[in-house]
Amino acid sequence: MKFAFCTCLLFVSLCSMGQLSGSLESNAAWYIDDDKIKLDANEAKDRVRSNSYLRLDYRLKNFTAGVQLESYESKALLNYSPKFKSVNLGTYFLNYKNDSIGLDITAGHFYEQFGSGLVLRTWEDRQLGIANSIAGGRIKYSPLPAINFTALYGKQRNGLGFNFTDGTVLGLNTDIEISSLLKIKKVIFGAGFSYVNRSYAETDTRFSKNNYLAAARANFKWKDFTADFEYAFKSKDALVEFGNARPEIQFDGDAYLLNLGYSKKGFGVNANFRRLENFGFYSQRNLSGSAYNEGRLNYLPALTKQFDYSLTNIYVYNAQPNISFEPGRNKAGELGGQVDLFYNFKKETPLGGKYGTNVTINYSQWHGLAGKYIATERKYKADKFNLGEKYYRDASLEIRKKWSTKWLSVLTYQNQFYSAKFVEESTGEVNANTLVIDNTLRLKKSKSIKLQLQHQWADGLFKNWVAVQAEYNFSTAFSVFGIDLYNYGNNDVAERLHYYNFGAAYKKGAARLQLSYGRQRGGLICVGGICRFVPESAGLNASLNYSF
Amino acid sequence: MKRNILLVLLIFFGCPQLIAQEIPGFKVTNLKDQTFETSALNKTDNTVKVLSFWATWCIPCINELSILNDLSDDWKKNLKYDFYAISQDDSRTIKKVASLVNGKGWDFSVLLDKNQDFKRLMNLPGIPYTIVVKNGKILYRHIGYVEGDENELYKIIKDNQ
Repeated sequence: MKFAFCTCLLFVSLCSMGQLSGSLESNAAWYIDDDKIKLDANEAKDRVRSNSYLRLDYRLKNFTAGVQLESYESKALLNYSPKFKSVNLGTYFLNYKNDSIGLDITAGHFYEQFGSGLVLRTWEDRQLGIANSIAGGRIKYSPLPAINFTALYGKQRNGLGFNFTDGTVLGLNTDIEISSLLKIKKVIFGAGFSYVNRSYAETDTRFSKNNYLAAARANFKWKDFTADFEYAFKSKDALVEFGNARPEIQFDGDAYLLNLGYSKKGFGVNANFRRLENFGFYSQRNLSGSAYNEGRLNYLPALTKQFDYSLTNIYVYNAQPNISFEPGRNKAGELGGQVDLFYNFKKETPLGGKYGTNVTINYSQWHGLAGKYIATERKYKADKFNLGEKYYRDASLEIRKKWSTKWLSVLTYQNQFYSAKFVEESTGEVNANTLVIDNTLRLKKSKSIKLQLQHQWADGLFKNWVAVQAEYNFSTAFSVFGIDLYNYGNNDVAERLHYYNFGAAYKKGAARLQLSYGRQRGGLICVGGICRFVPESAGLNASLNYSF
Repeated sequence: MKRNILLVLLIFFGCPQLIAQEIPGFKVTNLKDQTFETSALNKTDNTVKVLSFWATWCIPCINELSILNDLSDDWKKNLKYDFYAISQDDSRTIKKVASLVNGKGWDFSVLLDKNQDFKRLMNLPGIPYTIVVKNGKILYRHIGYVEGDENELYKIIKDNQ
């Protein structure tokens, strides 16, 4: 007791000197079979599960110490990596930061991104089960405000506690704002260079002990125009097939990324182009293409529009950076781009009306790399900029219109082509047209109602869907909602299921609690252009968020 | 048991910072590629600062910022406050931020938190998320957005003029 009392006193005194902040997140499910959706027999033993995260950071002057405790009880939610189990430490770190000398040093776990993440990005996404921080040491040094250096060394997190992937990572990065150094103000331009090495203690001498990515990039801004370009190279590495690295077959890879933008008040246009060839990079070779997104060292998101409506997310493109050989389905990378256009029709104009009208247009198209592929010999030669098989196309229009101070409508139309054959490595392709009408009506005393109507016409795969979502906010604190997605057009009559969900949410200040009951559609859950497969399930769900 | 309760109370009363904290320092950038040091938000200048964490793909965030942009002309007549829209877009969508902000005609100071490091330092669970700070003390935290939340924000800004 004395010990506990002294510990608390120490804690109190530390608190009064520094600052404590933290957050708690818990997502729980009670999987309950219904007449149509049943849990897989291997999973059915653990029907009540939760993923919970408690993070605490303590700051005292230039020092910050942090810890994240994670709990997966009785097991992790469906289709998370089995390495997330029971209760254990997730991350822990100690940081020293002194801006007056431009120094930032971290020991323990850290998240980092070099440039656009093409050669290195470590981050956490709890919905996707991505937690790929590096544990080791990192130094950031900025001798002048326009010059930044980063050096890091460590092992990548893989699960909980002190479990890491096999490779050891060394990263070096520099970013220089050249125009600022030269005191040029009319044009802003800069450059960056990155190097990321993964080393292994290999016994098989046919493998390289060191594999690396190296990148050079430049950014440019003049008046309302912006342009960025990045080129990255990957050294030769073994082909990985079905989780097995084959040292006798090795390929190098590269990546090109170009962004162009122009915007002024009321109008904006932006274009991205990217070519990837054999560019997935993992801190452990056999994790290449891991279903749980484990061991990812670089960030290769799908460069398509990220939609937020249920039916616009049935067919989601996932970037295709890796090599795979199969007659009729050879892949070595991807080539494509997207264009976004934003326009605001001003108030008091014919199309703007009393409150203005906002329009967003997006077009994206992605192909494989054309070239010569000899699947049986595991050989290929890809063309530089010739389009191969079409993987995905998406054209969308979004019109946001405020009719009155009480009523807002958002109309979204999306036209898609999706090749499941190439994107999911399954079969089939689909052309889909989706229409969403999203209405919000404000009522008296902070009450409001939302009604979303969605329909998808599709000529293949799941065929037609319809969805209705309604939400009623009794106040800004308390809401109830219900949604039903109905796959009424499915060729298989037994698969014409309703995926319904209803529940309530309560929020106050920094806390939010949500309870719901219903069915989860199986398929890909995608966040930030990275996807995770989830099986169908039914049951009760609860989530809690709090931070201080 | 009573002792344990006493200890818990001691911890909470001994740590006023648990409910009132400074903004941690971190370098983010604005849309002109200039560095913005977030510790500047702690400046004791008696000005209320509103931080709204958002992303181009987050519909409730766009709803909230569109409303706040529409209301800002009226609010600025009576209230003195600075507003920062802190984008959580990663490299998939970050290049769209300037085009979207200009395309929608928003007048906010927009900051880019490229790998969500600042959000992590603030221990925020998700977006939209709003924080109000004045003279180096966090006065208000709010998760999510539903229609009408802006009235609560207005009250907080007004009460702290």
